[in-house]
Amino acid sequence: MTVTTIAIAIRDVTMEYPSPEGVKHVLGGVSYDVTEGHYVSIVGPSGVGKTTLLRLLTGLAQPTGGEILVQGNRLSGAPEGLAVVLQDYTRSLMPWLTVEKNIALPLRNARLDNARLSKAQVRERIDGALAEVGLEGNAKAYPWQLSGGMQQRVSIARALAVRPRILVMDEPFASVDAQTRFDLEDLVLKVRADFGITTIMVTHDIDEAVYLSDEVVVLHGRPAQVTDVVSVELPFPRSQVETRNDHRFAELRTRIYEKVRGLS
Amino acid sequence: MRRAWNWLLAILIGGWLPVLLIAWWWTSSADSTDPFFPPLSQIWEQFKLNWIWQYWGVHVMPTLENLAAGFILAAAIGILLGVLVGSAPTAARYIEPLVDFFRSIPPIALVPVFILILGLDASMRIASIAFAASFPILLSTIEGVRSTNVVLLDTATTFRLTRAQVLWRVRYPNALPTVFAGLQVGFQIAFIVAIASEILGAGFGIGAFTQMSTDSFMILDAWTGVLLLGILGYLLNILFDIVERLSLRWYVGQKRLA
Ligand SMILES: Nc1ncnc2c1ncn2[C@@H]1O[C@H](COP(=O)(O)OP(=O)(O)O)[C@@H](O)[C@H]1O
Ligand SMILES: [Mg+2]
Repeated sequence: MTVTTIAIAIRDVTMEYPSPEGVKHVLGGVSYDVTEGHYVSIVGPSGVGKTTLLRLLTGLAQPTGGEILVQGNRLSGAPEGLAVVLQDYTRSLMPWLTVEKNIALPLRNARLDNARLSKAQVRERIDGALAEVGLEGNAKAYPWQLSGGMQQRVSIARALAVRPRILVMDEPFASVDAQTRFDLEDLVLKVRADFGITTIMVTHDIDEAVYLSDEVVVLHGRPAQVTDVVSVELPFPRSQVETRNDHRFAELRTRIYEKVRGLS
Repeated sequence: MRRAWNWLLAILIGGWLPVLLIAWWWTSSADSTDPFFPPLSQIWEQFKLNWIWQYWGVHVMPTLENLAAGFILAAAIGILLGVLVGSAPTAARYIEPLVDFFRSIPPIALVPVFILILGLDASMRIASIAFAASFPILLSTIEGVRSTNVVLLDTATTFRLTRAQVLWRVRYPNALPTVFAGLQVGFQIAFIVAIASEILGAGFGIGAFTQMSTDSFMILDAWTGVLLLGILGYLLNILFDIVERLSLRWYVGQKRLA
């Protein structure tokens, strides 16, 4: 029997934004446990509150009610061991830093056995992360010299270099072309296989959610709640052609699609 | 090779008008007997006598030293204060009207006040320069720091950068292109105030030399002072552009691609 541990516990979380007409109730009691090592996708219609939930998980905002436990600790501020990749790669990399310096920036505060990383260790992390995302030759380039897909790879490398236990991504592939998107999806699967990082990804692409995830969480309604949690029992390793042609893939996609639309 | 060509082309395009004007000045003044408008050839002879290098140490160095000290002080104050104020949204709202008020006073009008407070020595000159030049630098730094995009700040937060790191490694570099715009304006003001403070009371400096020459009807000397100021101002601006270009390589490159 395997013991499952919970990486993130979301307990009855509510979120309200102030608005001209009183308050805007965005999340209405969201509960969900993220299992350690799982790849979890959060899907839902546009504007339902996916990004809001993500901001709560990353400590960028505080919930108005309920609580979030990361590795058993109640969240206050940005948690250690959690790295974030945002949709907006053009604005999440520092344009005045080269690729390697972008990756090195968060490493300034990283600790290994309670000590700062040495120069050699930082170098090793940068090179390792760049190799993982297939950008070995681009350490000295500036982000704006790279294509959108490559920039997003840099964001992923920067996140990996801090050796996070949890990786959080908000629509990470939403603004790249279709081919690049497939490549990045497979990159994320490889990262997942290599490091077993617990991953939480927001996406509006249901196919992508099914393709990548162990579990898909559907948010629906105003205020939003979890209306379905779908286990994706497709075998690993997955492949763009075979996995997507699996009849179970189609069934899962249909089920999730109907939930997202609020049809069932 | 291509680079050299581009430089040459830039010099040719930027240089033809000044060359034409100097040629025109030279020929049209050649036969002048007007004591106030001596021939350029005579001014040039006197220029070489005065500035290469007879009065260099007495008059040019003090001006350049005060200018450098005042400007560096202005830059330090403007940038430091600007980063702090710009990253505190409410602070900016309180301070900006005050800054706008002081900035609206013509900088030269401040010099007599500083003479009153500090007397006629170099500290007065440096203080006047620093005070007048710091406002555009302060304002542009506030503006640049405040315009840091939210995604960048969120990213910094999630990577647990400290407040000091966010200030100096995110907000400050983000502001740098805007800061440089302020530095450029500040530098021009610094130059004006440096010379004005000498004209309004000093024994040394290019401004003092020019003023004293005029007072004692040494018209030729006065003209060489004006000519030197023009040349210096021009060269310092070029130097400024080079420093800016080197410091903002990422910004220039990014803009070229966009
Ligand atoms: N800072 C904010 N202030 C007020 N309303 C907000 C804020 N952020 C998001 N919202 C609102 O909350 C709702 C959910 O937004 P969001 O979480 O971005 O949705 P999603 O990511 O699912 O598209 C939207 O109606 C949005 O307008
Ligand atoms: Mg969103």
